[in-house]
Amino acid sequence: MSHHAVRRLILIGLMLALSALITLINPVFLTAGNLLKLLQEAAQTGIIAVGFTFVMITAGIDMSIGGVVAVTSMVCINFLHYTKVPIPILVFLSLFVGALTGLVNGFFITRFKLPEFIVTLATRSILSGLALVIAVKDSMGFVQNVYIQNDAYLWFGTSGLFGIYRTTMAFVILGVGAQIFLKNTRTGTNIYATGANPGAARLTGIDTDRTVIGVYMFSGICASLAAVFISSRMMTAMPELGLGSEMDVIASVVIGGTAFSGGVGDVWGTMLGSLFLALIKNGILKTGISPWIQPIAIGGIIVVTVIVDVWQKRLREHLEARAKLKRLSAERGRDAA
Amino acid sequence: MSSNGNGADLLLECRSITKSYSGHVVLDGVDFSIRRGEVHALVGENGAGKSTLIKIITGATGRDSGEMVYDGTVVPMDHQRRDAEALGIAVIFQELSLIPGMTVAQNIFLGKEPLRPLTRLIDVRRMNSQAQELIDRYEFPLKPTDIIDDISIAQRQLVEILKALSGKASLMIMDEPTSSLTKTEVEMLFKIIALLKSEGISVLYISHRMEEVYALSDRVTVLRDGRLVKVLDKGEISPEEIIRLMIGHKLEEKAVQHELSPKGGAVVLEVRGLTSLGKFEDLSFDLHEGEVLGIGGLVGSGRTELVRALYGADPYDAGTIRFLGTEWIPSVKKSIENGIGFIPEERRLQGILATQSITRNIGIPNLDRIAPRGIVNVKEEDRRAARGIEMLNVKPPRPEQLVGNLSGGNQQKVVLAKWLVRDLKLIFIDEPTVGIDIGAKEEIYEHIRALSARGVSVILVSSDLPELTRLSDRVIVLRRGRFFREFRECVLTGEKILRAASGIREGDDE
Amino acid sequence: MNKKPIATELRLAIVLVPLMAALTILSPRFLTLDNLTNVIWSVCFIGILSSGAIYPRITGGIDLSLGSMAALSGIVVDLFMNRMGIAWIPAILMTVVIGALVGLFNGFIVAKIKIPAFVVTMAAKTYLYGIALVVSQGAMLAILEPKPFILISTGRFLGLPNPIYIMVALVIASQFLLRRTAFGRQVMAVGSNEVAARLSGVDPDRVRLISYTISGGTSAVGGVILASLTQQVFAAAASGIELDVMTALVIGGTSAVGGRGSVVGALIGAIMVAFIINGLNLLNVPNLYQPIAIGTVIILALLLNEGYLVPKRRTLSRA
Repeated sequence: MSHHAVRRLILIGLMLALSALITLINPVFLTAGNLLKLLQEAAQTGIIAVGFTFVMITAGIDMSIGGVVAVTSMVCINFLHYTKVPIPILVFLSLFVGALTGLVNGFFITRFKLPEFIVTLATRSILSGLALVIAVKDSMGFVQNVYIQNDAYLWFGTSGLFGIYRTTMAFVILGVGAQIFLKNTRTGTNIYATGANPGAARLTGIDTDRTVIGVYMFSGICASLAAVFISSRMMTAMPELGLGSEMDVIASVVIGGTAFSGGVGDVWGTMLGSLFLALIKNGILKTGISPWIQPIAIGGIIVVTVIVDVWQKRLREHLEARAKLKRLSAERGRDAA
Repeated sequence: MSSNGNGADLLLECRSITKSYSGHVVLDGVDFSIRRGEVHALVGENGAGKSTLIKIITGATGRDSGEMVYDGTVVPMDHQRRDAEALGIAVIFQELSLIPGMTVAQNIFLGKEPLRPLTRLIDVRRMNSQAQELIDRYEFPLKPTDIIDDISIAQRQLVEILKALSGKASLMIMDEPTSSLTKTEVEMLFKIIALLKSEGISVLYISHRMEEVYALSDRVTVLRDGRLVKVLDKGEISPEEIIRLMIGHKLEEKAVQHELSPKGGAVVLEVRGLTSLGKFEDLSFDLHEGEVLGIGGLVGSGRTELVRALYGADPYDAGTIRFLGTEWIPSVKKSIENGIGFIPEERRLQGILATQSITRNIGIPNLDRIAPRGIVNVKEEDRRAARGIEMLNVKPPRPEQLVGNLSGGNQQKVVLAKWLVRDLKLIFIDEPTVGIDIGAKEEIYEHIRALSARGVSVILVSSDLPELTRLSDRVIVLRRGRFFREFRECVLTGEKILRAASGIREGDDE
Repeated sequence: MNKKPIATELRLAIVLVPLMAALTILSPRFLTLDNLTNVIWSVCFIGILSSGAIYPRITGGIDLSLGSMAALSGIVVDLFMNRMGIAWIPAILMTVVIGALVGLFNGFIVAKIKIPAFVVTMAAKTYLYGIALVVSQGAMLAILEPKPFILISTGRFLGLPNPIYIMVALVIASQFLLRRTAFGRQVMAVGSNEVAARLSGVDPDRVRLISYTISGGTSAVGGVILASLTQQVFAAAASGIELDVMTALVIGGTSAVGGRGSVVGALIGAIMVAFIINGLNLLNVPNLYQPIAIGTVIILALLLNEGYLVPKRRTLSRA
């Protein structure tokens, strides 16, 4: 069995074990109500994480996702508060915000070869300011807490069939679609190629610049989409929405097995990772552990996961290299004889 | 002089190809042709112009002048890689063109995967079966679902070949394909080349290995110093003849030859049975004080790996080393402390700190003298830098000049300077004059001679045969990681070195 | 002298003059001692953090845990002094040592296990924040004792606030370390070409270990100063300061790729950032525009550094 599959099985096993443990401590955990909420939490981060996965596979990083969420939610609030724009158009406009951000990110990264990390941090900063600027304010200039009353918009945050939240459904549909796209289309293959060996990809005629811009745009769109669902569920939004979600997204992707070096990973892993993360967070709450443990847990899990991944990769490579050398030298011995 | 076929059965015809890089003429009116269904070898020393010619044919770079006709179509001057591919010209790289983490089938069809009619999704089953068809046709030991990371280099080459074939290539260019292959794998490659030939596909084969060229080729084109020397027909091909043509000198020059008279004296370095799995095996030799020991061999014969291991840059698996009589396990730090220096093979990647000044570059291995207790003595640092610049005649002689901005020759001088300002006992020099102008070359040779005269031992690795011939007191030749031959007390010529490197055994003759 | 880089710092300093002139013209309140003191505080904090954070940056890495480490340090030093009764000087020393140890831990993971620096330090940022929450019990604690401790930041010496002296001392020390010691030479070498540095006897792992240790230590110092000045500590203090530090470093000429950098340059960068923010405040531009300004400044600075926008003499071709 490939080590990817083993890793995934271990993850699922861990989740089951943890669930059992948490239920023992607090049976409320295993109720339908709680589980549905858990899934929704996972979905909120997960939608962003799906887009982020694409960027990571190309060996990039998008730190601006929090900013995209913030600005998108402010855009929605503004439109809802001041206009009667039909909801489908509103949603489309929201996605446009994310796409535009991705385009700008991708442009600076590919055209000027600026480091992804710093560029996306800079756009995040700009976006966080923009969110504040366009936030709805009262007569004295303070940011107003606008309550969303538009039923059509609120629909996104509600639950549907079997009580499953629409956010969760969107997450699953997006995830499945993204996975199929990634593994079964030429563009998906190009994304992997760009991350694994950009030089070779270019030699084969793949336009790596266009691929990179594309994944950043997709990442932005996913963040915008999440913003719609999140603000809909909360029935309001503040300009800080999303800022600070970066660690959760990164944790989901890392736990899911996507590496920063690029060329590996897929959406299934990220979805599992989002689920795992939501489980941890929910578990901490339900078992009465201090909520302050959460950042320690998340940061710690990220570090441990990455270290374990690197170690086992090195172990495998080392063993393979030794085997190869033994074989090579044995053959050379035969040749020379 | 040359035997070109008549127009009809020529796949590729190049006439008067000329190319210069910044004033330096790399190809000078070269005629070149390949017939349909032939195996054609392109040989010449480093710098003869082979890779440039290939780049022009494959569209990686443009020619300055000359005509090119491929399969009856005139090839325009702005010929690009994409155009070459469309024409049917394929290049087999070693590992550059494959994507790790993907399967054999995915790599073969990268960019042109078969799609399902309705959904435009990749038809994995058809992709795998088409790959299997190709594999079966050529009887390659591959499976479409093998992952690139898990298969050997030889197998990866096969995948490259299949990739080219899937694109309906009519010309297959192979650049030193056998340097990482075992004998059995080489034989398989030969069979495949024969198979390609039988299908009417031409193969352009570039290699230093004479026995391979001899075994495979229908015709051989020999280049030297950017010019066509001769095209040999089947009957005229022999390793000796090819070497003679490769090396041969312009009528005005005398052949470079050197009467070797090895130095006796104290043994500085004693190497016994040194082995590094996969790189070199069972190497033993002595190095005397003030001696220049040249190491010859073809690309991939283990020369660089040997000196890196001796310096301590890479570990090794077996063998003993004695330095000045004491048993010695080298490390870079130990080497530097004890007066051993190292000039790496790739100047830009391994030798210079491009964003730092000359002073800093010269200073970095000398920190033990410049900053004995951690604090930098700026006067001492400047003094050493000035000394280095003066000794090596670095231009421009400005210590704060960023080394990345210097010419290649001056960069190499800085690399040399940082060792020359120390008390050296031994220095490893790997390819000292690649891409350096004649003037700087001679200056560097002078310094190597001066080192030797001062009693500093030098181990010199070089693919530049006249260089190796002129400078060495003694030469050992490696072949496939093993000791092949030593030259001492005889008249050495570059031709002799190359013949030994190519595996031709002969007695110590004049 | 053997330096070109003086030119970079001089160039930067020269830019400050018209900047100050412009700000003075735009708002007469700019040049008052009162206003400048506000600016000075911000410059001090960023300057202290930059003097350590520059090391991981030059080696091609980054330290994103600065803010969390500073916040945690404030909480820890308060813990030592006011809940464990330790005298303020040993308390501060212990706090800085803890900061250094955390930095060492980060450096170990980056150098020996070879995990990308931003992952390691970003995760550290998160779990250090959590630890800060736990130790402070999520509360904002007021520090009113001991008096000498408070005076560290609030006191004045020769008319200038103390933090200035501390910051200047650290900047000078760090610049000296970078420019005049073997270690500094090695840091620049590793940042410029790790392979070549290794072949010349430099141990890049050791260099990185020390770099992150220094960064952790200066974060702790900054945190202590912050606690002393604001007389309160809480887990979310100094959150987001990493961006300001990075901006200062980038403006100051520390290359994104590595191998170039100047502490004094970073200081000037910090001053510029502080001026810009202060200027925006004085002009009654709402706070919200500040992050936009910072973000734009970073991108501009990056482009300038890498040679776009303004044709500057390029050291390397884009090969």
